[in-house]
Amino acid sequence: MGLTRIWLLLLGLSAATTALAFAWGPVAAAALLVLAWLKARAILCGFLHLDRGSGWRAAFLVPLAIWLVLIWGLHVL
Amino acid sequence: MRLQDLPGEPIMWVLIASELLVFAAGVTAMAGVRLTDPAGFAAAQAQLHGWMAALNTAILVTSGCCAALAERACHRGDRRRARIGLALACLGGAGFLAVKVVEYARDLTAGLGMESHPFFTFYYLLTGFHAAHVLFGIGVLALVAIRLRPEEVQAGAAFWHMVDLVWVLILPPVYLLG
Repeated sequence: MGLTRIWLLLLGLSAATTALAFAWGPVAAAALLVLAWLKARAILCGFLHLDRGSGWRAAFLVPLAIWLVLIWGLHVL
Repeated sequence: MRLQDLPGEPIMWVLIASELLVFAAGVTAMAGVRLTDPAGFAAAQAQLHGWMAALNTAILVTSGCCAALAERACHRGDRRRARIGLALACLGGAGFLAVKVVEYARDLTAGLGMESHPFFTFYYLLTGFHAAHVLFGIGVLALVAIRLRPEEVQAGAAFWHMVDLVWVLILPPVYLLG
């Protein structure tokens, strides 16, 4: 993916985050954390070239997803 | 999955992973303490200026894109574009810090200090530590712009993307999950 597309994707995800900022509840919280994970994925794969490192992409993205689920769980408790 | 499959210097990835762990620990601690007073945390968080955080996200991802452009230009041997990209990335970092200073000034003027509520202790620690990384990152980018060696520019850009990465991850728990 080209840098401009990654940048536009990040801006789009950030705009979606801002739009969701006014929503409340467990579903909105989950959506906000999914958006954060997608932004992290775009930065790791697009800017930090992790898509080139076989296996390493999952080594970063899976623990990140688990951590975000933990944060969501603590939030909805 | 071998160490040499990692793009760039492996030590940069050790740094990125360790920084992610540090911030993740801080955010997890905040989420844990929040359980003792969810209403108080929500009320405290509602006093933050979310639009400033949104503005800073746009500034930082744009700055990250400039650093990535500089990295590519440097690998092509286009020193002029590499320097421009790094300068714009630094400018973005300075813009981020300027917004942060205004945000802190507004918070403090409103009486929202570090000891106002446990939420604000975490807020100042997490965002302040991140801002310190932004400041350090500007210095790193300025340093690598002097010699413009591709491997150094890649390492500098990687540090900058890590700063960007941390910000997008701490943003929802600190500013949005009321």
